[in-house]
Amino acid sequence: MSVAVKRTFEQELSLNDVAAKYPDVPRLVIIKTDVQRRGIHYTESALSIVDPTVHQMRSPYLFGSRDGEIKDLPESLLLRDGTTILVDPTPLELNPYLVDLVDGKLALVDNDEVVEFVKLWPKPQYYDIKTSSGIPMSHIASARPQRLNIFQSSYCHFWAEHKECRFCDIVNHTKQQKNELGVPVRLKPYDVSETIREALKEKGRFTSICLTAGSVLKGAELFDNEVDFYIETLQAIGENFTTKKFPSELISSAFNEKQLARLYEQTGITSYTSDLEVLGEEKFNWICPGKAESVGYKEWKQRLVRAVDIFGRGNVGTGLVGGVELAKPYGFESEDDALRSTLDEAESLAEKGVTTFFIVWVPRPGSDFRDQQNPSLDYFIRLSTGLHQLRVKYGLSIDYNDYRRCGNHPDTDLSRLL
Amino acid sequence: MAAQLTQEQIALFNDPETHKVLATLDESGAPHVVFKQSLYVSEEGNIHYLELLESSRSNHNLVRAIWFDRKVSIVVKGGDRQSFQVKGQPVEVHISGTLFQKHYVEIQERLGDVDLAGVWVIEPQEVINENFWIRKADEEAKHPLFRHLDRIAKTEKHQ
Repeated sequence: MSVAVKRTFEQELSLNDVAAKYPDVPRLVIIKTDVQRRGIHYTESALSIVDPTVHQMRSPYLFGSRDGEIKDLPESLLLRDGTTILVDPTPLELNPYLVDLVDGKLALVDNDEVVEFVKLWPKPQYYDIKTSSGIPMSHIASARPQRLNIFQSSYCHFWAEHKECRFCDIVNHTKQQKNELGVPVRLKPYDVSETIREALKEKGRFTSICLTAGSVLKGAELFDNEVDFYIETLQAIGENFTTKKFPSELISSAFNEKQLARLYEQTGITSYTSDLEVLGEEKFNWICPGKAESVGYKEWKQRLVRAVDIFGRGNVGTGLVGGVELAKPYGFESEDDALRSTLDEAESLAEKGVTTFFIVWVPRPGSDFRDQQNPSLDYFIRLSTGLHQLRVKYGLSIDYNDYRRCGNHPDTDLSRLL
Repeated sequence: MAAQLTQEQIALFNDPETHKVLATLDESGAPHVVFKQSLYVSEEGNIHYLELLESSRSNHNLVRAIWFDRKVSIVVKGGDRQSFQVKGQPVEVHISGTLFQKHYVEIQERLGDVDLAGVWVIEPQEVINENFWIRKADEEAKHPLFRHLDRIAKTEKHQ
């Protein structure tokens, strides 16, 4: 029987140490990063002021949470600079930040000290409505403060071959959501269209739509069926707009030029992301065996570069699960080496018009990396500033994936002033 | 430390005929000064600024201000030589939620097809009356030596 030991972070620079070390990095972005890194726990008094008619409660998501449970808790937090914190409820033994009630307001608290006051996400009006087919619209599109997420299919074919990415819990979480909440594994385009139509009635609420799903390997050519699903759904979404193109992001597998051209020409999509997850071929092959075997690291990068010709500079990116490059046993042993390697590879993409951003790696119980620890706050801040500086150096915009249109990348928060 | 505007100042601030100027600092510390009519005092006494352009210099400078604790200044000038300046600290920006959406709808009703990037909340920290005659009386009381002698010299009318 294993005994959980409270993680203390004593060997690492604290939040205040890191803020003092990097005076040019906003403290609010450092706080966001550390909160994502360590997670949160709502106290009973914090939960006493949560109002499900006003605040957005947790809705279906592609990935699970750090506590591995589906509970009726607030979706997440907003900082006073408009920054979104997407953060999981986390078991107390992992030493998360507390969200507590202080002077009648919600605050992030650590070691009995108020770190920052926060707000809960507002609930969108369409969350109270069902589609004409009887599905709660919150199961069709999950909201962020200014973005709509459509998780078209939450099954990833790499899992069928036991070649899933080692940090990922998508299929385990999908099963849990289906069993506990009845969330459909695959969405019907007419349900999506109807939900988007309803969501758009709330003026000023949304600025972008993000579509993503697990990889689908089937088709005449690899991923052809995945492309077909996306086209079908995006065309259904497009029925609701007066313009052919609408602010949107597709996060998908690495498609070939023919597939990308179909997507761009036949739908309203405006930007394209295909996640390498980790940079460097050796780490990629270990951490993402399905992606490595189906496409390969070099070809994945080339497909991103070729996408720039179709979508344009600043509209193509790749996401990293920041920190997995340090996972055990085959990851980098030093944070300096990991950072150098990652930024060198990111620069090789930036030179060709592809921008790189990261999410903070959270070891989830439904993933192969479940028992690991993520890196230090210092590392994540250096990764953030490094990726931001590449965008500055190469003049790469990140409008489509910034603090407002996404909110899950500390590095693109920094790029808010580009 | 928050400062409070008087009811008279609030009325002048919220008068649509009043001219309002917002001054922010850019990355190099250079002032950026622009007329902004979308400034008003809220019920709780803070100043709200409706920023319509996400990429505007003022918006970027306000982000810098909230990130790095920089101040901003607002000058208000109405009729009858009434004028005052507020120095304040941006403490929050609403990019979603009830307040944001209320202003989003109102600004579109007023201006048509425009967007709203954020509702900035600026906490007043100092209020300075900029009416020249009040400032003049104040200086003469505090610094009686700050004057040219000819202004107090005897002239023919004193002979």
